[in-house]
Order: sequence, then C-alpha cells, then structure tokens
Amino acid sequence: MMKDAANTALLTVRNLRTYFHTFSGTVRAVDGVSFEIGQGEVMGLVGESGGGKSVVGFSILGLIDSPGKIEGGEILLEGRDLVTAGEDHLRHVRGREISMVFQDPMTSLNPLHTVGRQMDEVLRLHSDLRADARHKACVDMLESVGISRAAERLKAYPHQFSGGMRQRVVIAIAMLANPKLIIADEPTTALDVTIQSQILKLMRAQIADKGASMILITHDLAVVSEMADHITVLYCGNVVERGATRDLIETPAHPYTRGLIDSIPDTSERLDRLSQIPGSVPDIRNLPQGCNFRDRCPRAQALCAQKEPPLTPQHNGLMAACHFPLHPGERL
Amino acid sequence: MTTFLNSEFFHNYTRSSSAIIGSTLMALFAFAVIAGPFLVAQNPYDIASLDLMDSYKPPVWLDGGDPRFWLGTDGQGRDVWASILYGARISVFIGLVAMIASCVIGTLLGLIAGFYGGIVDSVIMRIADVQLSFPSILIALFLMSAVGTGVDKVLIALTAVGWVVYARTVRGSTLSEIEKEYVQAARVAGLPNHKIIRKHVLPNVLTPLIVIATIQVGTFVLIEASLSFLGVGVPITQPSLGLLIKNGFDVLFSGLWWTSVFPGVAIMMLVFGINLFGDFLRDELNPRLK
Amino acid sequence: MTQAPVLDVRDLEMHFAVGGGLLDRLKLDAKGIRLEKPIVHAVNGVSLSIAQGEIMALVGESGCGKSTVAKTIARIYEPTKGKIRIDGKDIANFGFAQMLPVRARMQMIFQDPYASLNPRQRVRDIVAEPLLEQTKIAQERAAVPEKIARLLARVGLNAEHAGRYPHQFSGGQRQRIGIARALSVTPGLIIADEPVSALDVSIQAQILNLMKDLRDEFGLAYLFISHDLSVVHHIADKVGVMYLGFMVENAPRDVLFARPRHPYTRALLSAAPSVKAKRDIEEIVLTGEVPSALDLPSGCCFRTRCPFAWKKCAQERPQLQDVGDGQSVACHLIDAPERDTR
Repeated sequence: MMKDAANTALLTVRNLRTYFHTFSGTVRAVDGVSFEIGQGEVMGLVGESGGGKSVVGFSILGLIDSPGKIEGGEILLEGRDLVTAGEDHLRHVRGREISMVFQDPMTSLNPLHTVGRQMDEVLRLHSDLRADARHKACVDMLESVGISRAAERLKAYPHQFSGGMRQRVVIAIAMLANPKLIIADEPTTALDVTIQSQILKLMRAQIADKGASMILITHDLAVVSEMADHITVLYCGNVVERGATRDLIETPAHPYTRGLIDSIPDTSERLDRLSQIPGSVPDIRNLPQGCNFRDRCPRAQALCAQKEPPLTPQHNGLMAACHFPLHPGERL
Repeated sequence: MTTFLNSEFFHNYTRSSSAIIGSTLMALFAFAVIAGPFLVAQNPYDIASLDLMDSYKPPVWLDGGDPRFWLGTDGQGRDVWASILYGARISVFIGLVAMIASCVIGTLLGLIAGFYGGIVDSVIMRIADVQLSFPSILIALFLMSAVGTGVDKVLIALTAVGWVVYARTVRGSTLSEIEKEYVQAARVAGLPNHKIIRKHVLPNVLTPLIVIATIQVGTFVLIEASLSFLGVGVPITQPSLGLLIKNGFDVLFSGLWWTSVFPGVAIMMLVFGINLFGDFLRDELNPRLK
Repeated sequence: MTQAPVLDVRDLEMHFAVGGGLLDRLKLDAKGIRLEKPIVHAVNGVSLSIAQGEIMALVGESGCGKSTVAKTIARIYEPTKGKIRIDGKDIANFGFAQMLPVRARMQMIFQDPYASLNPRQRVRDIVAEPLLEQTKIAQERAAVPEKIARLLARVGLNAEHAGRYPHQFSGGQRQRIGIARALSVTPGLIIADEPVSALDVSIQAQILNLMKDLRDEFGLAYLFISHDLSVVHHIADKVGVMYLGFMVENAPRDVLFARPRHPYTRALLSAAPSVKAKRDIEEIVLTGEVPSALDLPSGCCFRTRCPFAWKKCAQERPQLQDVGDGQSVACHLIDAPERDTR
C-alpha cells in the first residue's frame, strides 16, 4: 500500500523529540515521532489537544522557542537534516521550500501592509523576478485562489478581507514561492462549514496543480479523511497509529483511533448513544508508565502497564503501537 | 506557605536580582518606618531634646563630626538621621494612604463606568481624560494652593491626581470581563448587578492594579516631596523627606550639604526600591509577557 | 397539543446599535454632516416552540444570530420585539424581580468551558450560585451543599472536586461543572449555546451522552445551539436552520436530513465533512460569504449566495411556509419548483 518511501520521501521525520522545560516540569510534547511524506502526498496529522501535533509542525519549521527545545531526532528534507541546520539555511527553507498556513490568518499577515506588498515580499526574497513580473505573478496567484478583481484587491489591507478571504490570501502567499511542502495547522478550524469546504477544495486543487506535498494538522478526522492520502494519529506526543486513509478510518488497529472515529456523530446513521472514550488526556508532565492510553482503553491488560508498545505492522499495511490491536471488523 | 515557596512566582523572585534589591530596600524602609523612633535617642520634634549648641554638626567622618550624630545635624541641632527616620514615616504614610484612597475611589468609578456604560461612563471618563491632559504635579499644586497646606490636604490632592489610572484600567478590564460567559452565567443565575460586580467582576480586575499601586506609592512620595519642596506640602511641624530637603536646600551652597543630600538619598532609595519591585511584579503578573 | 410548550417564541427580533461614541458616528458626505446610527439586525423575526422533553437545535454559520436568539431568550439581552413565553407566560418584558422565578425554570450552558466559569470561585460556589439566588430561607439553604454534592456526582465529578478551582480541570470536566450549575435549580428548559464545540471529539461524545441522559432523567427540554450538523443530527428532535437572523427552514430532524428543502440547508449538508465514504448527496457549492447584518440584502437574505436565485428573490422576502410533515421553509423555490434544476 505505502509507496517505497525510502526513495520518494520528500520529508522524513525520525524519532523527533521536542520538549518544553517549564517550571512545573518537562513537557514531552513530542516524544519520538517518526513519519515520511512522499512527493505530492497529503499527510494528515491528527490528535486531540495536547497530542503534540502543532509542535511537530513548528519543529519542522525550526520555530521552537525557549523554553521549548528539539532534544533529538532527525528532520530530513530531501536528505538534508533541518535539526542540525543553521538559522540561515532554515530561513531559506521557510517560505521557499516549506510554507505554512495557520488557523488564524492574522498570525501570518501583517496588518500594517497591503496584501500586495506582503505577496511581493515573498517573491522578492525567493525569486529573481522583476517588479512587473512579480506583480503579474501575484495577480495570477490571487485569482487562482478565487479572489476576483485581484489587481485591485492587492492594494487592500488584511482587515478589509473577511475571514475566509484572508485564509485564501494566506494560501496564496504560501503557494507563491512554489514550495515543496505546505504545513497547514488547523487551516479551516476557525471557518464556517461552507467556507471550509471551499478552502479545502482550493487547497487540494493547488497542491495537485503544483505537485506539492502537505502536512494537514487537525483535530478533525472528518476533514482529514476527505483530504489526506495517509494519516498519522498522535496521542500524548507519540505516534499511536499510521496508515493509508481509508484503511485507517475503516479498520483501525489502535483502540484510540477506533474510539476517536466512533465518537464522531454522523448524519448517515442515528445511534442512541455515541460511543465515548472514557476519561481525558493525561497530564503529559507525568505520564503513566507503559502505554499512555491504557487508563482510557477498554482492552488494556497487565502488559500495557509494564511496557510501552512499539509501532508494529498490522493488517492492511497499518502501523500501530498497541499490545492488543484490533483486527478488521472488531469493535471496541 | 510551602506552596508559596514552591510557586513559580517565588522561584522567579529568587532569580531576579532587581526584585531582591527592590524588596530589600522596601523592607528596610518598612522597618525604619515602624521601628524608627526606637532606633534613635533624639526625637527631632521635641524641642526639649534639641540643643542649639549642636547646630550644623557635619557627618561623623568629617572634621568636627560628633559621634552622637553620624549624619550630622541641622540649624536647630536636629540629628539628620533621626529626621530622616521620622520624615520617612510621614512620606511613606502619605504615599500609602493616598495610594489606598486613589485605588478605592478609582476602582469604584472604573467599575461603575465599565459596567453601566452610557452617560455615566462618558462623564467619568471625560473627567479622567481632562485630568490626564495636565501634569499631575500641576493639578496637585493648583489644588494645594486652593485648599491650603497640611497632611490631609496633601492626601486629598494626591488622591485627586491618582484615581484616574485605576479608573481607566478597571474600566477597560471591566468591559472585557462583562463580555465573559461567566458574567452572563451570573445573569442567568439571577444575580443582581451589585452581586455580579462584587463576586464576578471585581476579583478579576484587581491583578493589574497590584503593579500600578506599588509604583504609585513611589510616585506619590515624589510628588509629595516636590509639593513640600515648593512650600505647599506638609507643615513645618510634620516635616517629610521633601521638606527636609527644602530646609537643607537654603544652606546647601554654604557648604552645609548634609542636611539636604541625605534626605534626598533616602527618597531616591525608597522610590528606586519600589520601582524595581514594581517592575518585577509587572513582568510576573502580566499574562501577555508570559 | 395538549400541553403548553415549555418555550414558545414568536417573532423575536434583536437589534443592536453599534458604532461607539458620538464622534465615531458622525459622518460627513455630500448631503452634509449627519449622525449615523448603524443597527445590527442580529435576529429578524424568529419563532420556535419546544415541548417538555424535546430537544430543538438551531444551526447556522457564525453571525447567523443563533447565539443571539439563545441569549435573548435567556434574557441576557433585552429583546427588541417579539414574545418569549416560558410555560405560557410572556417574559420578554419582565423586570429583574419578575425574572427571578423564571430563572429557576430556565438555565443555560455556555460554549467556552474556560470563560464560562469564574476563575476565582470554587466549584461548589459556582454550582450553587443559581440555587442560592432561589433559596433565601435559612433551612433550605442548609440543604444546598448536599444537593450540590449529589449534582456533581451525577455529572461525573466527585466530592473532592467541589473545593477546587476551575483551572484544575480539563475542558470536558469544566463543561460538566457548567451543566451541574444549570441543573442546580432543577429547570425545565436548558439553553445550550454551542456546548460541545470547544471540546475534543472524544470528550464531545461524553458530554452529548450526558446531556441526553439528563434529558431522559429530568424530562428536560433543550434549545441546542450548534454549527455542527452531525452533532445536531445526533441530539436533536427538531432543527431550525438560521441564516442572517432569519429562520430559513424548520423541520423534525429526520425530515430535514432526509429531505432538506432550502438551498442553504442543502448546501450546509453537502459541505459537512464526514469520515464515512461520501454519501450520494447532491453537492451545492456556495460562493461568496455571508453579507453584513448591518445592511441586509433586499428580498431573500440568502439570494447573494444562492445558486437558484432569480428576480423574485431580490424583490420579495420569502416567508416560512408549511410544506407538510411539520417542515416549513422560507424560499421562493417552493412556489416555483421548476427553477430547482437539480
């Protein structure tokens, strides 16, 4: 099922560990996360709050500030390690090879500059186009994200756009330098559902068009299942399961993934009660020994308290970190 | 207590040299203000304990210094050290009381303006704006010349100057507080306005005031000193540090510098300590810097 | 209907004046200087009715006025116009003292589990607050702590939690505290304003299950505000769809999800992402964004984004009309089905 990642991988993350050393203890936000993304692939990074999914995104971009620190692991972009690379190289990588889209468009837009100026700046930094060519590229890009009267709108400031339009602008800026990888952190969470579907369609089209890869970070399994080629599920800073989207959604091996999917209400069937995962995410400053999920897991046994389960191959090419994985068709 | 010693606040305190210096200075002044009269033999306001023969004695390390008066004496033979200890009491008293009065009045007006809005809000905030467009020392001077001098008058003048900053801060926080869902929940619970203000708004607007109040004590000590220096502050019978400087200033250029310089140093250390500690509090309590 | 509905709202309107102070509103143009008074038309004539034990959901996108409807019914806002009947009594113009007994019948659960609990209050005080306003007699007050303990246990918290502060709890636990607070006065109606939208999906399921159980146990009626159609589908008995302050469609749940009639409802349903493989559903893609409530479009409020809009839609505001099976729709397509090209 999975492509031969060793040859085609654009980005390889190996055993990434990012910790935050706070006064009340070390937060192991990301604790040994590994995955690969091939050229042109969309990978969904899913988990609940506290899962560490955003920290993975920031780690790849080298944007972890004190008290956070990448403690170990490798982030290989086309074979070159970003963890050990200098700030100069990272600056080059950000925007040109990897660009980002955040939940709140205002975190990446400068309210004091026109949209046109901000777009132009990206091109000036990352291309050798002349001024008129840059202008044309900006107009084309705005049009391609569905903003009409683009030449005119280039002169507008971010606050003159609505939330959905702003997110389009951010996507336009992110696509400008033809990046190889886009990291989208909850890009549609703040948007209404009809706008969300517009933006998701747009992102899919842009990626397909440019042949870029994407990491889609979200809490929303439904969004990921419609967007991603494969999915990595995080829980308490660890990868608990990964695999191709349809396989992972339909026959997950890890009880956490199963629980997540079952707890989403769906309009196609009506259940009297939703199945729920009991309890809540443990405090990641002092995680239980063994499997992090065992306190909430109906399948947990004595072994789960003793030994942390490693990621192992399961049915349908899935990888899951569980001592007692589910088989296809099995319910919790 | 142990929870406090283990808190992040205390941890950061022990690592901040400015906080330690500031609070040490404040503690020294607190001690001096409380225990002052027991530290010195002479009561500088008791005429009977003064001896004109002791006038203008220089500090003890200079020629002619008297071991009884280690910082020297003034024209009436008053011990400068004793005068500073007694003067600091008045300065600190004025600073603290005016701060508390400003805080209470300003907070109240800010709560009312923010909570009820409309005309009340406009009136209160326009008064505050007008007030802020004049230097506070000017307003205080004007008021003092209108109502006369005296410790109580200084307190009135300082309070009239000082409430504005609380009112503005509290109004701003109140406006954002009353939009919060727990205030709406209190309405749904059927709480009357005064209870909503007391239980839900007030406790949540106080934190930023701690910093303002701390720094303001220092500001008030300085304003009071300026007023007294200009001769419209405290009466000669209750000399604050500012008045000591003024009294000594007349003879400063005759070479008798110690009568005004030492009270000046005392004010400087007091205000410096307060500001250092206030800055630390500001960093610690401001959630935006975290 | 033999029994009077717990909540019956007729033609509710809620307008807010915006624009700040005098100087902000002063406008200079060709006609000279004038004082503008911008009005946000947040709710424009909404009617709904909920029987005992019934769950009615209001869905719509941000700015559609669904939360304003909730907060106006809860009398956090003063309604501009219309009737709000609780157990048959119109409370729209009730004063503070008159509202107090109504507060014992109607409570509210809020969206943000962080902002809806006062950080400086202990859990037991938070939960007891509505109840203490209702009990002024000392002997009855003595029974409050015991009732609070029972309530906390019922919503899945334990006795030792009562002495803690909100920041010591997770989002889901806080929402349980908010639910216990609403239940403290044993109300008949609970207005729930996006109660699960800030929660993780596994916690969301816990809270939805809890709310359903409580409905069965206490015969509660809910007005359930949500933007999430799958949540609404799960919990509601009937659904009202709102757009720009208007109710555009109102129907029993099964009817609405099986046969949505209003183009906006259809667009919402087709836009909702799902983990299940795509159902065979018509796809209506909306273009553009919601117009400003400061300046409502003429005629149908939805026409600026509607793929079916024609001349009549700009001229005449469609009224809700009954189309059978308890479904009512405000759309000119009902009278001109030939224009519905799909």
